[in-house]
Amino acid sequence: MATVKINGKEITVEDGTLILDAATSAGFEIPTMCFHARLSKLASCRVCLVEIVGQKKLQPSCVTPVMHGMEVLTESPVVKSARSAMIDLLLANHPLDCPVCDKGGECELQDITFKFGPRKSPFGEEKRRFHEEDYILSPVIIQNANRCIQCKRCVRICAETVGAEVLGSIDRGAGTGETSFVKEYLDCDHCGNCIEVCPVGSLMSRSFRYKSRPWDLKGVDTVCTYCGTGCQLTVQARNGEVLRVISKPDKGINHETLCARGRYGYSFINSHERLVTPMIRKGGTLEPATWDEALKAIKEGITGAIRNGGKIGGIASSRLSNEELYLFQRLMRVVLKTNHIDSGSRWNTGAVKTFTEVMELSRGGVSIYDALNTDTLLVIGSSISDENPVTDYMIRRLSQNKKMNIIIASPRGMKLDSSAALTLRHRPAAEGEIISGISRVLYDKNADKLNDLSGKEPLKSISKENISSLTGTDWGRIESAANFMSSSNSVTIAVGNDVLRGPSRLEFLNVLVGALRLLGKEVKLFPVFDRANQRGAWEMGVHPAMMPGYSATAGNGLGCEGILEASSRGEMDVLYVIGEDIVSDFPDGRFAEEALHRVKFLIVQDMFLTETAKMAGVVLPGASFVEKDGTFTNQEGRVQRLRRFLPPQGDAKADWEIIAAVGAAVDPSFNYGSAAGIFGEIKEAAPMYREIAFESLDGSGALIKETNRKGTDLKSVPSVASQMPAASPDPDYPFVLITGNHLYHSGRLSLRTDILRDILSEAIVEISEEDAKDLKVGKGDKVVVKGERYEATLTVHVNKRSAKGVVFIPENFTDVRVNMFFTKGEGLPRVRVLPLTGKSHGGGIK
Amino acid sequence: MNRNHYNFDLNGLLKKVFFVDLIQGLFITFHYTFSKTITMKYPDEETWIPYKRFRGLHTLNKNKEGKELCVGCELCQKSCPTQCITVVPMQDTTGKGIADRVAYRWEINLLRCMFCGLCEDACPTEALKLGREYELAGTSMQRHLLTKEELLAPQAVPAEFEGGVIVKARLGTDETGIKVVPDMSVQKRWW
Repeated sequence: MATVKINGKEITVEDGTLILDAATSAGFEIPTMCFHARLSKLASCRVCLVEIVGQKKLQPSCVTPVMHGMEVLTESPVVKSARSAMIDLLLANHPLDCPVCDKGGECELQDITFKFGPRKSPFGEEKRRFHEEDYILSPVIIQNANRCIQCKRCVRICAETVGAEVLGSIDRGAGTGETSFVKEYLDCDHCGNCIEVCPVGSLMSRSFRYKSRPWDLKGVDTVCTYCGTGCQLTVQARNGEVLRVISKPDKGINHETLCARGRYGYSFINSHERLVTPMIRKGGTLEPATWDEALKAIKEGITGAIRNGGKIGGIASSRLSNEELYLFQRLMRVVLKTNHIDSGSRWNTGAVKTFTEVMELSRGGVSIYDALNTDTLLVIGSSISDENPVTDYMIRRLSQNKKMNIIIASPRGMKLDSSAALTLRHRPAAEGEIISGISRVLYDKNADKLNDLSGKEPLKSISKENISSLTGTDWGRIESAANFMSSSNSVTIAVGNDVLRGPSRLEFLNVLVGALRLLGKEVKLFPVFDRANQRGAWEMGVHPAMMPGYSATAGNGLGCEGILEASSRGEMDVLYVIGEDIVSDFPDGRFAEEALHRVKFLIVQDMFLTETAKMAGVVLPGASFVEKDGTFTNQEGRVQRLRRFLPPQGDAKADWEIIAAVGAAVDPSFNYGSAAGIFGEIKEAAPMYREIAFESLDGSGALIKETNRKGTDLKSVPSVASQMPAASPDPDYPFVLITGNHLYHSGRLSLRTDILRDILSEAIVEISEEDAKDLKVGKGDKVVVKGERYEATLTVHVNKRSAKGVVFIPENFTDVRVNMFFTKGEGLPRVRVLPLTGKSHGGGIK
Repeated sequence: MNRNHYNFDLNGLLKKVFFVDLIQGLFITFHYTFSKTITMKYPDEETWIPYKRFRGLHTLNKNKEGKELCVGCELCQKSCPTQCITVVPMQDTTGKGIADRVAYRWEINLLRCMFCGLCEDACPTEALKLGREYELAGTSMQRHLLTKEELLAPQAVPAEFEGGVIVKARLGTDETGIKVVPDMSVQKRWW
């Protein structure tokens, strides 16, 4: 500890604290320009100069640590005049076009000039000008380099946090300008974090260009609904029209970072395609109706089904709030007396159950910062850089200041690979085998300590050659992954939701975790989800075998696949679908469509008329995330508030209100008046939520706590009958098709936002560099991807780091329905890729 | 004292006999009858043009090249104490303004405006000035909500005109209200 005197006030701080931080905690304000708390320190602007008694020269407080007995002056005449002079120097070349500049009103340079700056300037020279007109850097970024003050925050955040490294600075001295390398469209994440950290109006958002002044905007701090990371963001609107989304440095786990989806995926809120009134099918077509008519039709349909003893099922999206999901399962289980409910249509219901158990989700939340405070991090089952970009930023950020071995196991290459100590490129759906391989190595080396595990699968039966051929991964790499783990004191295993797409051998993870724990390692398990409230959906009991709080159900219900199978046999009388586009998402589009046609009464509640909604008997208009109250539980188990800020469009209602109304139509005692009231009931039903206060949830939310439940027993995990990935490739269909979310899109909602569509609107296929060479195609070329039952023409993207023989088509696009390639029960489809040549195909070739 | 004492006043009698007071009064009347007229025949024939410092109806101005000076910075809106101004900026690539930022909407609610002129002071490009128009009465509320296009149209009194004169005018009446149209060519000062 060091005791320092700042402006005569004595304070004691940790050794190595920066003078800036010490002064701030003592209550003194030091202006900064280039300093950013979570970026490397540059100390180039010199606005934060302070006087240290005994030193002749002033020192930049943002890089100078305190020393015991130091006496610092932040407001002496010397400091004041130096500070004012530094600001004057920044302004010497800064064009004073504030009235035009979009940053005006929230510009850091404006603020510090007003507070600390000179009142007149002696500089009368011509100002530096790089260009006359602002130029476009990317679909979302527009730059005016003349306004740049060379703080290089954008360059630093792009390289250190985002990992895109597309911004740099050219020239030197006063002529330095921030730029992309060739002043062309950037090939980057289009995340806009450079815009967020720019203190002046050098980098600006194109979508917010000349739309409004910041003081005209009304905003609300809410949570992003695009992936499981659970970023806090602020939605800002003027006159009811959402104009932008920003991130605040002091809010949430993401601080100032957001990804392209979070920052630009908002315009669906004001979309003209939104459903604004309930609709009822009359004579084959859906026609607008009133709420009373719609609820009456639903009441008739449901009571009729109950009277006849028919089957009732429900599928709710994992993008609904906890309150809605809880109410939904309550409606299903208590009012409609059915266990046939599921969240989402993409996952294998059995794999979900195994996942919740082996990942120890019932043991409460693990903060991502705790999880990443580890020696070795294994990321498996997720293309984390694409699926959860901000989780990727956090890992990159934290891994820079700390020695952390990152091991990435994925069939696809990703941006985080460059930060990884080891990458394991494996065959799709071989996550379980990779894990068993690592367990095998650990067991072979420490057989004496791991005796207890000797009788367990996979150690008993799987040989090293077997694993190598099943995973397509070099054994040496699996061995070195195990070596990283055995030389670490703590290991974090982040498992993504790709393992849920089929019956994977996830139970093997239990053996690996058990082995590591027996070896005395601290093991943390960190789930990675691509849907914002995936974890909440399971915790609220929207699963055929799980009640709220992961307690087991009495009877056995059907999951999504089971419901569709029952539907295809004509057994489903009523199916209530909320926010899920089953026809587009279920991995066998043809089957899902046919099955839903046979549902006698289909109720769909959504914001848009999706493919599934088009088939419904009654369509109910739901609300977007800024139009309702509620909570979300992110992948960490952090409960965060969703805040109502705008009224729902037209006659639409918050989803929980609709569920409550549907329930009340069937059973008048089903009565819920507010999201807070429902949350109170959740606290009773799911004990992990007991300590969370709905009203006082602030920026960073609150982690759910472990209840007095015992930890998972090694033996209790049921063995899921598994399908090994086919070892020998079919020469006719040499590629394996995998799917997931694209970096710029998530689910189907993001495609309804025009800014994200500007970034990428047409479906792409991602192939490895090796395959691209073999096929003689490059980025932008068109290829035909041919499966046994479906074919599509797509634009090629080449991923340098992907495994050979893997084809990735995002599940987000409407023009190519990737789920049509899949056949129910047959695992991942095999496809052929044919380059499209000649002009006969409409000349889409570059 | 004798209450009925009668005080003979010859002067008074003479004044009465010769109608002196009447003549004096009529003299003033006749003086003004034959002197220069100061009555402004407003609104039928004449109208008063105020001085340059007058704060009347707002004008949005263009520069010499005919480009809109307003860049939609919204400072007028921010400075307005009655919050009667609404500005929505937009990007413009046609070059109609002095910058690529122009006002998409510039609206003022004159029913709220108190003509304090703070918006004019705040304007960084001298696009916004309070003009000399003061006949703002109307028969509909809608007439008091003025848009950018209406304010960009030149006012009857040019900005550079000194003012402080009476000019010839014509009273025009239409369905929106009464409008006095000045004819700047015939000016007069009565003092």
